[in-house]
Amino acid sequence: MKKQAKKVVLALMASALMLATACGSNAGTNSGTGTNTGTNSGGGDKPITLRMSWWGSETRHEYTKKVIDLYKTKNPNVTIEVEYANYDDYWKKIAPQAAANELPDIMQIDTGYYAQYAGKDQLADLTPYFGKEIDVTNISENALNGGKLGDGVYGMNLGVNSLGFHYDPATLAKAGVDSIPENWSWDDYLSMAAKAKENGIYIDGGMRAEVFFGYYLRTVGKKLYNEAGNGLGYEDDQLFVDFFGKLADLVKSGAAPTPDTLAQIKGVEDDMTVKGTQVGVWQWSNQFVALQQAVNRPMKIASMLNPGAKEGLYLKPSMFFSISKNSKAKEEAAKFINFFVNDADANKLILGERGVPVSSVIKEELKPLLSPEQVQVFDYVAWSEENSSPMDPVDPIGAIEVFASLKSLTEQLNYGQISAEDAAKKFRSEAENVLKKNK
Amino acid sequence: MKSLSLRNNLVGYTFISPFVIGFLIFTLIPAAASLYFSFTDYDLLSAPSWIGLENYTSMFTSDDRYMQSLKVTMLYVFLGVPLRLIFALFVAMILNTTSKAVGLYRTVYYLPSIIGGSVAVSIMWRNLFGDQGVINVMLNSIGIDSVRWFGDPNAALFMLVTLSVWQFGSSMLIFLAGLKNIPTELYEASGVDGAGFFTKFFRITLPMLTPIILFNLIMQLISAFMTFVPAYIISKGEGGPLDGTLLYSLYLFRQAFVFFDMGYASAMAWVMLIIVGVLTAAVFATSKLWVHYETEGGR
Repeated sequence: MKKQAKKVVLALMASALMLATACGSNAGTNSGTGTNTGTNSGGGDKPITLRMSWWGSETRHEYTKKVIDLYKTKNPNVTIEVEYANYDDYWKKIAPQAAANELPDIMQIDTGYYAQYAGKDQLADLTPYFGKEIDVTNISENALNGGKLGDGVYGMNLGVNSLGFHYDPATLAKAGVDSIPENWSWDDYLSMAAKAKENGIYIDGGMRAEVFFGYYLRTVGKKLYNEAGNGLGYEDDQLFVDFFGKLADLVKSGAAPTPDTLAQIKGVEDDMTVKGTQVGVWQWSNQFVALQQAVNRPMKIASMLNPGAKEGLYLKPSMFFSISKNSKAKEEAAKFINFFVNDADANKLILGERGVPVSSVIKEELKPLLSPEQVQVFDYVAWSEENSSPMDPVDPIGAIEVFASLKSLTEQLNYGQISAEDAAKKFRSEAENVLKKNK
Repeated sequence: MKSLSLRNNLVGYTFISPFVIGFLIFTLIPAAASLYFSFTDYDLLSAPSWIGLENYTSMFTSDDRYMQSLKVTMLYVFLGVPLRLIFALFVAMILNTTSKAVGLYRTVYYLPSIIGGSVAVSIMWRNLFGDQGVINVMLNSIGIDSVRWFGDPNAALFMLVTLSVWQFGSSMLIFLAGLKNIPTELYEASGVDGAGFFTKFFRITLPMLTPIILFNLIMQLISAFMTFVPAYIISKGEGGPLDGTLLYSLYLFRQAFVFFDMGYASAMAWVMLIIVGVLTAAVFATSKLWVHYETEGGR
């Protein structure tokens, strides 16, 4: 009774606040009713209903629904109800569902939120399903461990990503630079930026603070978070000053756009790389194809800045599929995840949109089907595999709030409202304040 | 006998039950729960743990962003509400004339309020105020430089205020009703005595409208404090740039559903309730000084 009341209250509080979220879905009244059918074939004949949710773009929604349809033709007894949204709305929908113990059976989870859900006992450990419902023969230990937290793996790695600089060689030429050297350094980068600026072209639109600061710290042997996840993983604030100072100088000198210029960008049509006024973008490899299509000129991928690129670079799980702890049809959910990761036909629909597939067999199967841009991504990720270091442990609980603080401080820095030294100190105190709750 | 009265009462209870049940489920229980959560550390995913007043104290001692959201909201309310009321009264007076198309005008002016809180309007507003938006084109045509409405923290809040002023329709309609209620004899008599437009306005219209102004002021004050959607859409949910549009309700929402700090968010909600309560009480207290009721004259 008490639990019921709590559910109602939470649902109400949530709905009252969630004025702005919109997506056609039913805030679940049903969770799966299936029981263990005891077979791995997914055969079974008991009708089973699974709920599944993800975030993404229109493209992702479309092909994911096709994959589900395909699964249904092979497993007619399984019905999958889908709930999807864009990234921001997704998390606002998921949080109250978690509070009400009504998480979908299968849900897509982001690395930033991973610890929040897995650490709070919302997700099922997948290790019992590895080698049974989920075939892991063609998946490397490393890829699987992307979702490791403590002794368990609470999310199936759906694909692999690597950081890089995605640029338009034509714009680079306009900026007066012939090419990007193979092992380019910060000095190369900064002098290139200065040259581009002389020709009225921005070098890039900035580096997303939380991702690239983490990278930078790795290049000097430090981490953003400490082992226990209850504090920062570096002691010397000078590192913050060095990294963000350099970036802020680019903004100050006019080689990178100011935040008020960036604030005007509403969509692809305003994107400066598309318009040819900016050389490129620092981002994850799975974002390359979409950008290239928008730019509609040949684009290239350059690796990260030296020194320390090999130590800094890592392969990151793009996202996970997790099974909620309260799911009543965990085996069935696991079978679907297996299908998603290991089925050739399914992956011909997915085409690496959720990152380069973790299964080596699937990777080979897809090669002939890929567009030249996708081949570039696959090749870059393959190159990264040889030239990177193991990933840091998953982001601790509170990471999202730490990101928000970092983002806000770098914004102030780029507006010239705070010095890099003060921002470094302030970030330390704000981040420690959030992370100390993990003690 | 007894069963008869029970049966009689039962009908009454049945009729009021939708309200009572609705009130309990949708208002009282959630409010009580949020009061309880406001004294806890509660992340939605695990059980709340009691921390006493810590949420309340850290709000005022260690959270710069909270103070910023308070500041932004105060600016928004104290700038937006008076402007909106003045504008509403202005339009109401124009519409209080005898034109044949007056019905159409009233509808047209009221429309923004109906669709005003919606996502679509906020998106439209974003486009209007964009770098090459209508507003900047107009500014340029009269020789003023473009303003970076989204990039400049102060301009961004001003943009929200104009959006709120534009949605003056509901208070305008109430003013209009008030204006209709002022006896025309008063104007006629003062006209005979030689009063001009401004004398009529300040000596008759405004004093006669004060009860309506009081009502509008309080309603608008409360709704302005709860503004959420425009700030959410225009700043893409983050309250930027530089927390310049971080309205109170937006920050509360971020604490609750982005940072999973439901306890803190609940505490914020209660502080907001207190602030709005105090302000409303203050308006009521001062109303004795400036609100005139016709019946008082005969006392």
